[in-house]
Amino acid sequence: MIADMLKKENVRIIDRVADWKEGVQVSIQPLVDGGYVETSYIDGVIANTIEFGPYYVLVDDVALIHGRPEQGVNEKQLAVTIVREPVVFIGKDTEKKARLLVALAATDGEAHIDVMRTLAELFMDPEKIEQLVQSQSTDEIYQIFLDADTAEAE
Amino acid sequence: MAVKKIMCCCGSGIGSSLMVRMNVEAVLKTMGKTGIEVVHSTTSDAQPGAADFFVVGADLADFVDKLPHKIVLQNIMSKKELQEKLEAMFAELGE
Repeated sequence: MIADMLKKENVRIIDRVADWKEGVQVSIQPLVDGGYVETSYIDGVIANTIEFGPYYVLVDDVALIHGRPEQGVNEKQLAVTIVREPVVFIGKDTEKKARLLVALAATDGEAHIDVMRTLAELFMDPEKIEQLVQSQSTDEIYQIFLDADTAEAE
Repeated sequence: MAVKKIMCCCGSGIGSSLMVRMNVEAVLKTMGKTGIEVVHSTTSDAQPGAADFFVVGADLADFVDKLPHKIVLQNIMSKKELQEKLEAMFAELGE
């Protein structure tokens, strides 16, 4: 359930970031603050991005920012950040833009599978993505994520 | 060759590879293919023999360059692209 992995205080809206590194940092920061990941997780994701490219930009406008469990994850959790001005992630041959940043801390490959199922449904729905990035309040964003749980259960 | 195992890979083994695995399972069901194990892992586990074929996103194509059978997805969330490429792969492997 999304409700078990996402806390309302970990949903944020910001105007812009200087670059993708700051995007990674701000998206993961709530998880650091909550003790779900170590600060090193941020550096780990940045290093992975340099090595592999922005592998976590799953669809247009959506980044599921995450590293590996051993890169500093203490407990599984999500944080959601909407950035009004798209964050530009630079890959080897491509540039990918995203306004919806979902930071994921996973303890192993499987434990978060139900949440990933819900997120997959959400990310494959361009209308929902648009609704999320246009949201005026964190309450509204949080509710869309909670509703996605219900939609998945049906 | 009877396909018994498909491995979906990404850099971390917990994010996109899992999403792709769920899509592969869904598409195999649509195609009426049964008895195939679908796993997800990191690209470092993508070694010849670890699975009958591999599925990765375009970003990681270079990392699986040496594998004989693989599907490279331009849009890792597209079930349509996945189904077309799975059908082509099954045809290539003589199923």
